[in-house]
Amino acid sequence: MECVVQGIIETKHVEALEILLQGLCGVHRESLRVHELCLKSVPNLGLVSSEIRLLCDLEQPEPTWTVRHVGGALRGAGADQISVLVRNMMESKVSKNALRLFYALGYKLDHELLRVGFTFQFHRGAQITVTVSSVNKMLKLHSTDEAVPVTPGIQLVEVTAPASSENYTEVVAAMSSFCEYLAPLLHLSKPGVSTGVVPTAAAAAASLMSDGGGTAL
Amino acid sequence: MAAMEGVTMAGAQDQPPKVVERLNPAVQQQLNLDSVKTRAISLFKAISRILEEFDVIARTNAVPKWQYVLGQFSMVNLELYNIVEDIKNVSKAFVVHPKNVNAENATILPVMLSSKLLPEIEVEDNVKREQLLHGMQILPVAAQIEKLKTRIDMIGAACESAEKIIADARKAYFGTRQGPTLLPTVDKVQAAKIQEQENLLRSAVNHGEGLRMPGDQRQVTSSLPMHLVDVLATNDTTQTFPDSSGMYQKGTPPLLTTAGNNSQGSLLQVSGAQFGRAAASPSGATGSTSFDNTTASPLQYANSPRSGANIMNMPSPQQQQPQQLQQHQQQQRQKMMQQQLLNQQQLRGSSMPSLGQSQLPQLHDMTSQAQQKFQSMQGQHHVQFSQPLSAQQLQGRQLASSAMHMGQNQLNQGNQLNRQLNQFSSPANSAIFNAAQTTPASQMIPNMSAMMPSQSILPRMQFGISGGNRTLPAPSLSDQMYNMGAANAGGMMPIQQQQQQQQQQQQGAFGNMSQNTPQNIQSNMLPMQNTSQNHPNFQQQRQQNQQ
Repeated sequence: MECVVQGIIETKHVEALEILLQGLCGVHRESLRVHELCLKSVPNLGLVSSEIRLLCDLEQPEPTWTVRHVGGALRGAGADQISVLVRNMMESKVSKNALRLFYALGYKLDHELLRVGFTFQFHRGAQITVTVSSVNKMLKLHSTDEAVPVTPGIQLVEVTAPASSENYTEVVAAMSSFCEYLAPLLHLSKPGVSTGVVPTAAAAAASLMSDGGGTAL
Repeated sequence: MAAMEGVTMAGAQDQPPKVVERLNPAVQQQLNLDSVKTRAISLFKAISRILEEFDVIARTNAVPKWQYVLGQFSMVNLELYNIVEDIKNVSKAFVVHPKNVNAENATILPVMLSSKLLPEIEVEDNVKREQLLHGMQILPVAAQIEKLKTRIDMIGAACESAEKIIADARKAYFGTRQGPTLLPTVDKVQAAKIQEQENLLRSAVNHGEGLRMPGDQRQVTSSLPMHLVDVLATNDTTQTFPDSSGMYQKGTPPLLTTAGNNSQGSLLQVSGAQFGRAAASPSGATGSTSFDNTTASPLQYANSPRSGANIMNMPSPQQQQPQQLQQHQQQQRQKMMQQQLLNQQQLRGSSMPSLGQSQLPQLHDMTSQAQQKFQSMQGQHHVQFSQPLSAQQLQGRQLASSAMHMGQNQLNQGNQLNRQLNQFSSPANSAIFNAAQTTPASQMIPNMSAMMPSQSILPRMQFGISGGNRTLPAPSLSDQMYNMGAANAGGMMPIQQQQQQQQQQQQGAFGNMSQNTPQNIQSNMLPMQNTSQNHPNFQQQRQQNQQ
């Protein structure tokens, strides 16, 4: 299970966000470059069609592959009240033969995208990962070198934290309180709920980017 | 008892030298310690007297008078109860801890009861008192209290003013930084644009909208990035996977084209016939196109319920055949050969370099019976397989046709039928060719003999044509079952003795066949027409029979 929220930020404010995150998290940023392939099964394989995401981490000298299955989200009145999406998710490292395997099983490539950005991983009540990335699409199949952003002026911010069905309330609380710190720059919401940009983003970014001299009392 | 004792002691100990602390007079009166003490003592005496009586009774082993004993007990009980009740009324004024004296607190009780502080604590206390009441200790207590109060007020005032100053400074600080304190708003037009972009982005990330490429763009034209190079390595077929939903319906041609990508052109030229495929070692065949098994046709065996009309619609699962399917390959091949022979029966020409051997006799052995079957099958499958033929297929066809130039006219079927067969079989042949990989032609012949399985081939031959139609779409010869079934269903030809002979002569079959030049074949035509056996071995047997 994981808790996840998403938000958007204008590309011009990304650097300010990085500074803010650096201060909040206390760890260094890690670069991110992930080629994500989304495979869907054909209808007659199983009862319902399923979707699998294969993530290839291109940042490492040796590309590593991960397989990810995103399941259903928590539903109900309680789920509506919390501001974070809690959903089932399975993830595992796999060898590079995973793509072949899934093709052999009958999965077809549905779409692919390339994420380029950075990520912060830290512990603050829960193991939280903040990813700021620009989502790129490939005009030609698998041509990751010629990827163009889907939305050039806007980047995606994703905050996730793994959870289990026993402790997800604490994880949700930890994530919510962390997200409040990011309020001057962006709003985070459940995936699928659009937020828009925050009006104070420009001012907040400016203050973060400045050298921060104080006024004498 | 202990509570009473404690209370008594507390009352008695209120006599420190300096300050005399007395119990509140009202409480004291109500408590009436003296009377409580008297009552407690009398109760104590009564209980001890009763205990003595019990002692005497126990010693003399007399039977106690229970009524008397119970009466004494109830009296004592009642007295105690009264005392406790009286004390309870006033015990609210006291807090006693511990309630009972027992082993654990017996040693500490004296310390707890003492009102003098421990030496070190006393020293600390004095120091602090000195600090606080600096110079004030002479004054009476009231004055000291007053002075302390004023001190507290002064400190409070100082704190408040400090907070005020900090708040003012903060406001000033942020005021200069942020300009007007109004919340900045986002321009509406801009907001709309941003909203639109945001929706694009979110839907792209979460659902993949806007990222899907139409099928025709899904061919890997440019070079693959590093991480995909060895994953998608030699497989061009992977490109077709997004479209391979069409593989089911279209059947042969996509398979053929994809297989064609893998096959080696030279092989096609040389081998031409089905031999190539069967002769090729399965390892070579299966090596690169392991992906092609995405066509997960459920049809594996001809005997399955689908094996009727649907066989043609469903391509057999694999183009590649694992080693254990070699036999199936053979049979399929045989069928192909027969079909080709049928097609080309009217054509005369030079013999195929490597194909010739088995194909010719098979053609000759066609009977009308088989042909009719064939024809009917043809009608069914004509639609399916009259698809645009690739160059390879054409090549195959040409080769086959040239092979048929051996000139067997015995089987005179309509040209239309032949053409149909041609169209129909050559895709199959090409499929077989394509799937076959690297086996050079020279290997085909000896391998042919190896591929001749046992007697079961013969009956298959008869039905091979009809059966072959069904399995055409894929060279997968997993039709052994089917063949057997078909053969059995159709009734076995009288082949028992032939089978035996077949077995004996399998190894040399092709060798002998190769000797069957057109003349020999022609000479064998007549006798062979009696049966529908197309097996080369069979033909040889015939020869032998004749001889």
